[in-house]
Amino acid sequence: MNVGEIELIKVRDNLWEIPATGKMKVPGRVYISRDMIEKGLKDDEALKQVVNVAHLPGIEKYSLAMPDIHWGYGFPIGGVAATNLDEGVISPGGVGYDINCGVRLATTNIEYERVKNRIDDLVSKLFQAVPTGVGASGAIKKLSTNDLKKVLTKGSVWALENDLGSSSDIDFTEESGTLKNADTEVVSKRAFERGADQVGTLGSGNHFLEIDVVEEIHDAKVAEVFGLFQGQIVIQIHTGSRGLGYQVCDDYLKVLLLASNKYGFKLPDKQLACAPINSKEGQDYLAAMQAAANFAWNNRQVIMYLAKKVFQNTFAMTESELGFKLLYDVCHNIAKIEKHKFGKEEKEVCVHRKGATRAFPPGSKLIPTKYQGVGQPVLIPGDMGRYSYILVGTDKAMEETFGSSCHGAGRNLSRTKALKSAKGRDLVGELKQKGIVIQAKGYKTIAEEMSDAYKDVSDVVDVMHKEGITRKIAKIKPVGVIKG
Amino acid sequence: MTKSYKFVDHTADIAAELTGSSLDELFVAGAEAWFVSIAGEIKIEDDDMLELELTAGSKEELLVTFLNELNYLLITKKWLYSSIQSIKIFDDSEGCELSAELKGTKLKDYHQLKHEIKSVTYHQVEIIEKNGDYSTLIVFDI
Repeated sequence: MNVGEIELIKVRDNLWEIPATGKMKVPGRVYISRDMIEKGLKDDEALKQVVNVAHLPGIEKYSLAMPDIHWGYGFPIGGVAATNLDEGVISPGGVGYDINCGVRLATTNIEYERVKNRIDDLVSKLFQAVPTGVGASGAIKKLSTNDLKKVLTKGSVWALENDLGSSSDIDFTEESGTLKNADTEVVSKRAFERGADQVGTLGSGNHFLEIDVVEEIHDAKVAEVFGLFQGQIVIQIHTGSRGLGYQVCDDYLKVLLLASNKYGFKLPDKQLACAPINSKEGQDYLAAMQAAANFAWNNRQVIMYLAKKVFQNTFAMTESELGFKLLYDVCHNIAKIEKHKFGKEEKEVCVHRKGATRAFPPGSKLIPTKYQGVGQPVLIPGDMGRYSYILVGTDKAMEETFGSSCHGAGRNLSRTKALKSAKGRDLVGELKQKGIVIQAKGYKTIAEEMSDAYKDVSDVVDVMHKEGITRKIAKIKPVGVIKG
Repeated sequence: MTKSYKFVDHTADIAAELTGSSLDELFVAGAEAWFVSIAGEIKIEDDDMLELELTAGSKEELLVTFLNELNYLLITKKWLYSSIQSIKIFDDSEGCELSAELKGTKLKDYHQLKHEIKSVTYHQVEIIEKNGDYSTLIVFDI
């Protein structure tokens, strides 16, 4: 089939290939159903962006896209690309402005039925404890430059050292919450300024804190290993590196625009500005991006701590009664140096995941010991009115997608259209009818982020499930939502 | 062509078409689109003044740098611009420069802001000059 000028050749029911033409160095491959292509990809530039990414120097195998693919900057959202370390490049366009935007999910021992009358109270207390909205600040005291340097170097270990987390929180965070080659010397003064008072804040847009209930278990064995049971209250936190990460991206787009000219790269989009991984510019960006990623892990850790305190105080429970244990924390905007198989050989590549989640299989040494037998948890948030999913990584993901899966639902309505569609409706009341309590900074945020503005996340996870890239373990539904 | 901005549909973020009969006007249109995206169509105080001097390798980069500067002032200095007193863009073979005087105010609790712009992007920014009029698209990542 053709979408505009782009030819898509069917490989399997949910996998389509864009042949390498012109100066593309590799073909494109998109995991998606025919129906989703026809409904969602006809009118935007996302597939063109898959083609653009295939032009990057040193790209290996394919320019990939997950089923939540949509129009981004440089890479499409849902884009995955691995570049080799010899002549390959690193690009902020393959990571995004919100470096290490990600999701963490904590489980509790609480059954929804026991506390369903307390959700109102919980939501309002969580809203007070976790700052939200434009430039949200002040969750914890403003950090000195020295403390912030420690956050950027240590990631969520900083929270642990400051009594804002436990050692098991670190064990169940991707990369144990710290990328080791972060360098604060290559992070600008402006980035420091933007981050100083934003630790422990959600921000605005699609970021959220949710109280969810486990609605459906798809795989009982794995769910048990993950500590999940039907009717259980769990907590989801979706946010990233806040202003600090946005500033790092801004700073390095400028540096890498100059570098792209210097190294003679002819790129189809400025947002694909890049530099060889082994150049000074590439190494500086990698080290600054890792520092921002560490900020993000620490941010989600501090928010989780604040939420846990609210739960403890509201229910007057001890830590062991409450549970509140981190199931896992995954990032979905990142570039990482990882080992992957090429035929019989294994080599290191730089895997860019822009709106894509790492999904490592059973036996991977890079996932917690507890999950070695089943695979890495993959957390896929949906929208505020429907459901989210907990998936697990597979061997096939390692074979086909550099160990990557989808990351969310993706919007189907612009903010303007969402606002129009919300006119005259009582969205808070509609959510209440469905048993969902919401608190946000303004009604406009609720309207822009309403359920109808998003695609159905089950279509996205079904593609990944059918293709065997990730498997469905549990479906959770929101009962309390905090938005910016 | 007079200075103006018009928001166009964008699924995930905010996009605006900017026009002006000079580069100076085009940049003012960009600043106005940025303000409305952040704060809506409200009036705010202009009891403070600030001078800006910026440079960049091209006029497109200068426009992105300028609007990101407004973002930086808002988030870190809690300073919100309300109007542009004067602005001059210099564009020659050596690069581009902007010099401007902004009026604005320190952010107060009662200023209700709508969106946080993560960044102003380079995506599809291409300043086109036609018969002395300037235009470009600009996309704000929120």
